[in-house]
Amino acid sequence: MLPEFLSRTAKTKEEALSYITGLEDVKVLAGGTDLIVRMRKGEAYKHLVDVMEVPEMKGISCDEEGFKIGATTTHNRLSNSQFIKMNARSLSLACGLIGSPQIRNMGTIGGNLINASPAADTIPPLLVHDAVLTLESKGGERKEELEDFIIAPYKTSMKSDELLTFIHIKRKRFKDYREGYKRVTKRAALAISRLSVAWAIHEYEGLFHDVRLAIGSCTPMPFRPRIVEEFLKGNKKEEQIIIESVKMILEEIKRITGDRPSFIYKIPVLKDLLENILRG
Amino acid sequence: MVTIDFTLNGKRVTVDVNDNETLLFTLREKLSIKSVKEGCSIGECGTCTVLIDDETHYSCLTLSSKVTGRDVKTVEYLGNIIELHPLQEAFISCGAVQCGYCTPGMLLSAYSLLLKNKDPQDEEIKRAISGNLCRCTGYIQIIEAIRYAAGILKQNC
Ligand code: FES
Ligand code: FES
Repeated sequence: MLPEFLSRTAKTKEEALSYITGLEDVKVLAGGTDLIVRMRKGEAYKHLVDVMEVPEMKGISCDEEGFKIGATTTHNRLSNSQFIKMNARSLSLACGLIGSPQIRNMGTIGGNLINASPAADTIPPLLVHDAVLTLESKGGERKEELEDFIIAPYKTSMKSDELLTFIHIKRKRFKDYREGYKRVTKRAALAISRLSVAWAIHEYEGLFHDVRLAIGSCTPMPFRPRIVEEFLKGNKKEEQIIIESVKMILEEIKRITGDRPSFIYKIPVLKDLLENILRG
Repeated sequence: MVTIDFTLNGKRVTVDVNDNETLLFTLREKLSIKSVKEGCSIGECGTCTVLIDDETHYSCLTLSSKVTGRDVKTVEYLGNIIELHPLQEAFISCGAVQCGYCTPGMLLSAYSLLLKNKDPQDEEIKRAISGNLCRCTGYIQIIEAIRYAAGILKQNC
């Protein structure tokens, strides 16, 4: 049995915002694949506001700067979208690996971000794309980079009267990039990533032109090794450079996280993974 | 308490549900649909699988209020004792049922796959049932059964 609560279903964004502001001890419900599990284990709220029926918060649409994804778009919809496959391949791949078919039919991209797990599959691809979020409240809206939104494991900068409505990705800068997502798990389905990497790499006549990497599950928050991205810019695509840069990334991880028992396994696996990604 | 209205296995139903009630509970305790089982209650075993608008969902993680106006299907929709669905026939003839606890959920995941993909490869079948655990069969017979049923269904149409 779930703890007692009152639930409201919002039909519009305005309605959702009124509930969030007006009701006491309120939590937003989308697909429920994380929240309901946590509530089963005892997490309790007085009110839940279901936002899955708000039409404008669902789906993918283009705007002047690029495209935006509604926060309640399901993983399944994102992984099957031709548009996402073409414009954000790493995200498409990541969404197709989450949980199980049932979880992908229910769970949403917004929920995955708000949950802010170090192992969340959608975060590394969105970091690679410099995703920006729209957070709305009764008082107005603000935009924030995903990178700043997640402030600690399972913690975001979202205020209690705010609603995550959209995720923005800039227009097709990534046309001639090779892009992907790989993760390591204990088993194929219903698994949590032990290690994940999203990448988008542009090479030009034997030189790295732009390298974007995002690594999940190794540090408290998925992160971009920017120093190394910078180091690779304009550098030759040579074995020695690749080995050197991966070494720098691994050192950075150890610096951020400290030594962890799991690193005996993780570090060599990540090393191979990153080297192979850079070799392409 | 709210009154919800939805289509269950092709028929309109109206039922009063508590705000914190899951679809699993409503189906089993209020609508006598006992084919939907409770295993883990946390979205990992798949024995509570139902179709909502023909997509698989875990009913243990679905609040009942979410299915207002939707189309919900359970294994009762597929067939009955007099006339089984080809998938059900295939599960029996391929030995894909042992204790049967996972079977309703497996059948619905298989049914939902075949709606979208008439001729699935083994990898696609495995992916489609990856959210359903079976503690008895070792999966091989289930995969064979789904492949077999796909063949029969293709011939029929
Ligand atoms: S009871 Fe719902 S997934 Fe196990
Ligand atoms: S037949 Fe027993 S769990 Fe699958």
